[in-house]
Amino acid sequence: MVTRMSTTVIREIDNTSNDPRQRPVLITQGADFGPITDSVSAVAEAARPPKIWYVAMGISLCLTGILGASVGYLIWMGTGIWGLQVPVAWGYAIVNFVFWVGIGHAGTLISAILFLFRQKWRTSINRFAEAMTIFAVICAGMFPGIHVGRVWFEYWMFPIPNYLNLWPQFRSPLLWDVFAVSTYMTVSLLFWYVGMVPDLATFRDRSKTRLRQVMYGIFALGWRGSSRQWHRYEVAYLILAALATPLVLSVHSIVSFDFAVSILPGWHTTIFPPYFVAGAIFSGFAMVMTLAIPARAMFNLKHIITLRHLENMNKIMLVTGMMVGYAYSIEFFIAWYSGNPAEAFAFINRAFGPYAWAYWTMVSCNVLSPQVFWFKWCRTSIPVMFVISILINIGMWFERFVIVASSLSRDFLPSSWGYYIPTRWDVLTFAGSFGLFMTLFLLFCRYLPMVAMAEVKSVLPQAGRHPGHGQYWGEITPEENGEDRP
Amino acid sequence: MRHPADISGESRRLDALAPKLMGMAGGVGLLGLIISVALAFMTEDGVRRAYHAYMVNFCYFLSISLGGLFFTLIQHLSRAGWSVVVRRLSEAVGANTLVMLVLFIPILLGMHHLFPWTSAELLQNDPVLQWKQPYLNAPFFLIRCAVYFGVWCGLSYFLLKRSLDQDASRDPKITLSMERMSAPGLIAFAITLTFASFDFLMSRDYHWFSTIFGVYFFAGSFLSFMAILPVILLFLKSNGRLRHAVSAEHYHDIGKLLFAMNVFWAYIAFSQFMLIWYANLPEETGWYHRRITGDWLNLSYALLFGHFIIPFLGLIGRVSKRRLRLLTPWAVWVLAMHWLDLYWLAMPEYWLRVEGAPVGTIPFSLLDLSTFLGIGGIWVAVLALWLRDHSLIPEGDPRLAESLAFENA
Repeated sequence: MVTRMSTTVIREIDNTSNDPRQRPVLITQGADFGPITDSVSAVAEAARPPKIWYVAMGISLCLTGILGASVGYLIWMGTGIWGLQVPVAWGYAIVNFVFWVGIGHAGTLISAILFLFRQKWRTSINRFAEAMTIFAVICAGMFPGIHVGRVWFEYWMFPIPNYLNLWPQFRSPLLWDVFAVSTYMTVSLLFWYVGMVPDLATFRDRSKTRLRQVMYGIFALGWRGSSRQWHRYEVAYLILAALATPLVLSVHSIVSFDFAVSILPGWHTTIFPPYFVAGAIFSGFAMVMTLAIPARAMFNLKHIITLRHLENMNKIMLVTGMMVGYAYSIEFFIAWYSGNPAEAFAFINRAFGPYAWAYWTMVSCNVLSPQVFWFKWCRTSIPVMFVISILINIGMWFERFVIVASSLSRDFLPSSWGYYIPTRWDVLTFAGSFGLFMTLFLLFCRYLPMVAMAEVKSVLPQAGRHPGHGQYWGEITPEENGEDRP
Repeated sequence: MRHPADISGESRRLDALAPKLMGMAGGVGLLGLIISVALAFMTEDGVRRAYHAYMVNFCYFLSISLGGLFFTLIQHLSRAGWSVVVRRLSEAVGANTLVMLVLFIPILLGMHHLFPWTSAELLQNDPVLQWKQPYLNAPFFLIRCAVYFGVWCGLSYFLLKRSLDQDASRDPKITLSMERMSAPGLIAFAITLTFASFDFLMSRDYHWFSTIFGVYFFAGSFLSFMAILPVILLFLKSNGRLRHAVSAEHYHDIGKLLFAMNVFWAYIAFSQFMLIWYANLPEETGWYHRRITGDWLNLSYALLFGHFIIPFLGLIGRVSKRRLRLLTPWAVWVLAMHWLDLYWLAMPEYWLRVEGAPVGTIPFSLLDLSTFLGIGGIWVAVLALWLRDHSLIPEGDPRLAESLAFENA
């Protein structure tokens, strides 16, 4: 299928001007309703995805296969195949759980909190960030699920009335996690889907085959685009945003409770809830960046996900990176200030003990590496931001590893100290979870509207705001931005 | 987006209001301070009590001023358009950190009463205090305070001064310079505010520690600024100022931030309490134990309901945010609760390490009111002083038109 957009060459246009007299354009080329629909739909309507998509899919499926094999072997053998040994009874599984839940925070932050803050630039990235959120939460939910060992008793996690009168421990934050994460999953899914309905209807209307018409038609829920439907849609979206906003904070706060309600030095500290939330947003944005950079190139969307969008995300990473750095420093200071020798030891041990290599990896990746974003040329250089985003992903995984391993391996009783070494099954399961994540993401890119077309259109200058006779407040015409009309 | 509000015929200066306000507020302030001094010397243990009351109210007005500074910083950093019409007010409130510097002198005079860690006798007998001595000692405390006030006064004066320059020159480059200053400014702000809260409030019980404490103080600080903004606006409006420039659209956003920060405060307060309660370590629970003993428990409940649940219900709707006459009473309520919060943070330690102290009683005193009027009066008078010769909105801001046309669409 030949699309109209394919004739236009998409170029990288610098729209990162900071001139306070005018707001820069967010869509740099073909900034009109029709071309936006064309370029987003082209991804799903093309007869074949780009070759690189097949390569990525191939790798992802291999990794997913590895995940399936590792989980199968785990269920067959039991958690003994992992490197868990007392005193470190929480190893990779919990680290990976927190890592993936954290990544799942950017989507809802972008679609809910940035929506409430009227950040128009979020419209180009919110859809696939939300999709990423859902896939990350799926990966996250899997780890505690398989960690319980006897997966056939999974339903014991839920408070189901039973003849043994056996109930889960309501005072345990692990149970609160079950509720928090499943609520988050439900609301995120709902948010993602509700936002997608108008775009699914667009796909349905453009369908050339019966199958596509029926499939997109079912999920478009009879959307006709009447003003009454739009009105209700926008009310629903606002309410969902308001409901999702506290969830962005609550989920990772409760995840942090898993550690902080204990009395283990290095785990029990009051700053954990906001610190974990900041870290989650930090890692989530890094993952959005890691995915957005190849995706915009692969699917020809550089004019919709522009340099300005990427620059804004880099700024958020710089801010949240420093929030995390703030938490690290305050923890360290209070560990000394508290005058509690166990507390002080835990932190000295983190920085200079057997896990010092992990600690300094974490500090360099999370606190030092984003500092390059103080420079505009780094914020607008694609290779630099791609590398930094991957470093942040690594650093944030190590953050959770440091918290789990360093505190558990050396607790109050020196005779029981140990050193946690993961086995190959730990590593393979973790690597496999990336396969699952990427497979789902690639399928999403290929078959669903990966950019919220309707929302992007609403931030175009011509979207109905005409004060002062053709003069747009805060927007400039494409010509002024040095762009030639297609 | 609508047309920008027409402000050509608008009264955008305090004019005659300024001397009146400065005279009245300044008078109340001086009177309050004189009464406080008189009460301090006339009542039993009055001096110690007066310093404590002064401390609560000092922290109260300091937190509002810091909230104003933070608001200005974050508006520049996010290049906000909607808030331009109220930014001059936040700049002036932030610049009041300068008057807080002057009002800090009594705290230094009363250090021995306010900070038991200054006592040499305690130092000798308390190994925990000996451990903390490299941090908790008077010279280092003074150096830190100099840094805090240096950062706050320097930043807020810079932001006010540059913005006033822009009124005359209309130079958009000034906006860029303020934006550039705001990024490192925010970092300096975060560090100084955190350690100031440790020093002024947390170290009052020098055994206690909480890593979230700086965030807690920040939450209250930004909240209290969002609450005082509608009060200032209502005052200006009812005196015929800024009738068109600031509209229901702006109140709506102010109300949203007020609501959001109130919830954020509750989130932080809950996080701190829940973790300490759950872990139940004696080194941490002592601080809360004082606050749930005797009458203090009632005050803690008052905070739970009055600071969170009641304003949560009151501010959640759209109407109460868009009508200044509905928003302001809620803002005043939140300001009152913020005062109670600071009282709850600072005052229970009044009885700490006092022989034969009536544990569990709240030492309410007339001094709480008189020092409030004293500091508050001077604070308002200086606020009027900043605004006396200038416009109440940043006239030269390149985003002023955007702010005047702003609409919650």
